[in-house]
Amino acid sequence: MSDWYSMNVVLIQTTLTTLLLALSIQVPIRFGVFSFAGVGAFGIGGYTAAIAMVHLGWTTWPSVALGAVISGIVVFALGLLVQRLTGLYMGMATIAFTLIISVLAVNGGELTGGAGGLYGALGEIDTGHILAILAVVVAVLVWTETKGMGRRIDTVREDPELANSVGIDVVKYRLASFALSGVIGGLAGGITTLLRSTITPAEVNFHLVIVALTAIIVGGARSWLGAFIGAVIFVWLPTMISFVQEWEKVVYGFIVAVAAIYLPNGVLGVVKDLIHRFRTRQERARLAVLQEKG
Amino acid sequence: MQDLLNVASLGSIYLLFALGMALVWGTIGILNFAHGATFMFSAFVGHLVTSETELPFLAVVLVAVLVGAAIAALTQLLAFQPILKRSKNQHAAEMRILIGGIGVAAIPLAIAQHQTRSSPFGFRSSYEAEVLEIFGLRLSTTSAVVIVAGLAIGIGLTVWVRRSRRGLALRAIGVDAETAAGMGVNRTLLAFGTMATAGALAGLAGALLTFQLGAIAPETGDQLLIKAFAIIVLGGLGSMAGTVIGAYVLAGAETLVLNLNYGTWVDAVSFGLIFLILLARPQGLLGRKEVRRT
Repeated sequence: MSDWYSMNVVLIQTTLTTLLLALSIQVPIRFGVFSFAGVGAFGIGGYTAAIAMVHLGWTTWPSVALGAVISGIVVFALGLLVQRLTGLYMGMATIAFTLIISVLAVNGGELTGGAGGLYGALGEIDTGHILAILAVVVAVLVWTETKGMGRRIDTVREDPELANSVGIDVVKYRLASFALSGVIGGLAGGITTLLRSTITPAEVNFHLVIVALTAIIVGGARSWLGAFIGAVIFVWLPTMISFVQEWEKVVYGFIVAVAAIYLPNGVLGVVKDLIHRFRTRQERARLAVLQEKG
Repeated sequence: MQDLLNVASLGSIYLLFALGMALVWGTIGILNFAHGATFMFSAFVGHLVTSETELPFLAVVLVAVLVGAAIAALTQLLAFQPILKRSKNQHAAEMRILIGGIGVAAIPLAIAQHQTRSSPFGFRSSYEAEVLEIFGLRLSTTSAVVIVAGLAIGIGLTVWVRRSRRGLALRAIGVDAETAAGMGVNRTLLAFGTMATAGALAGLAGALLTFQLGAIAPETGDQLLIKAFAIIVLGGLGSMAGTVIGAYVLAGAETLVLNLNYGTWVDAVSFGLIFLILLARPQGLLGRKEVRRT
């Protein structure tokens, strides 16, 4: 076990940070907000943490925390601006936001290191730390997925008019999803950057949006568990099959397209459907037995 | 004056690219994220063909146009049509089409990147651009072709959508797809034809831009995609004339920024424009206003 762990420690950490990034995109989608601002938050969080370490000489965790707070605030402010947009317009406006972050980083001069990026921001982070942060994030998300909160969020997503009419403040929920997505994205960016010790503008690009989307769409968009399944598949598949390694992006493009067509609820959706069907059959069988006894 | 000519040439490339996207999105409601990849891959196939045999200008353009139409038609047939058939409502379909398009777009991009190792590619052609001098202004023959083609197709398409019976049917689908279908409009066939036309325009733009610049990189399509979105939003969704104006406005704004020596900020122009327009006038310059309840 410990041998396996030390051999694959990089992959394990990548899985966890990919999961955080995927969650930052998944949260708004679960609220019915088609926002990719989480990837922009990844950039803000990563750059803030790196700047705090390199220029201000801060230690690891205050830097990461600062990144998460600032990206949370920025994305919340973005939410205030764009929350009245719908569907595709929202998607494209937030993609534009993400790409502006990258342009800002290129033009940031000494502060952001320009096109070359920032180097030498190596934090003291191990897998335990990431797991602890992830546990907190997942706990918050589980709270938003279950019971009354879960039902209210489902209503906000599926039928905003109905939600409004039964007294759910749709705008407030949408804004909350922006803030949450910003904080999670910022955490993902800060941790990833301090693990690798560098961040460049080229990293905050459209490909990162695809990475996050792939994980969610393949795993399942309705629950953090889906994002986890997606992140595991996404990170580990190339290491298992060498064909996948060479044609990585082709395979992922194909998977995303197929999932969008045939599995709108991802692998998790398929599993849940199967469990549901199995339970229904059991229930029917039980009822049939009861009726015979009459 | 020379600048104006450059704006006209750049704007015409933008226009040829954005027209296809605007036509598809404004009428059958599909935001095709694979449009940039279609554009790039048409030029790439042209590159592959011309590296076998040398071809004249028109033959290369024809190859690219046909490839573009074929890719777009296949995308519609294999991805978007199944998604439309399987989606419960327009809102769900929009998101799945966007995600499916992102997946589809990743495939040709990755193939081209793999084959060229992400370096730019061009055509080997018997055609050589000459520089014309008109009233002391310099204009290459390629740019002249680009400007004429851009303006002619832009105006032609605008008039066609406004005047012809097919154009009326297309606009009817854009306003209310179900009623249009009830009036005897064959949605599936028309959507298929519209996608193929858009793909052909993407192929044309790809071939012409490659001729003009000498070479393009596999990633060129992705950058154009965001710019085309800015153009469509600026002009107003569903308005072909708006797209024509938007293309030249964006080209003018970018050239202005470039001439003021803010070269690294050029990309921010289109992203910023998306933002400003969406916030200040979401229906665009010439668009119709949509009614929203939440």
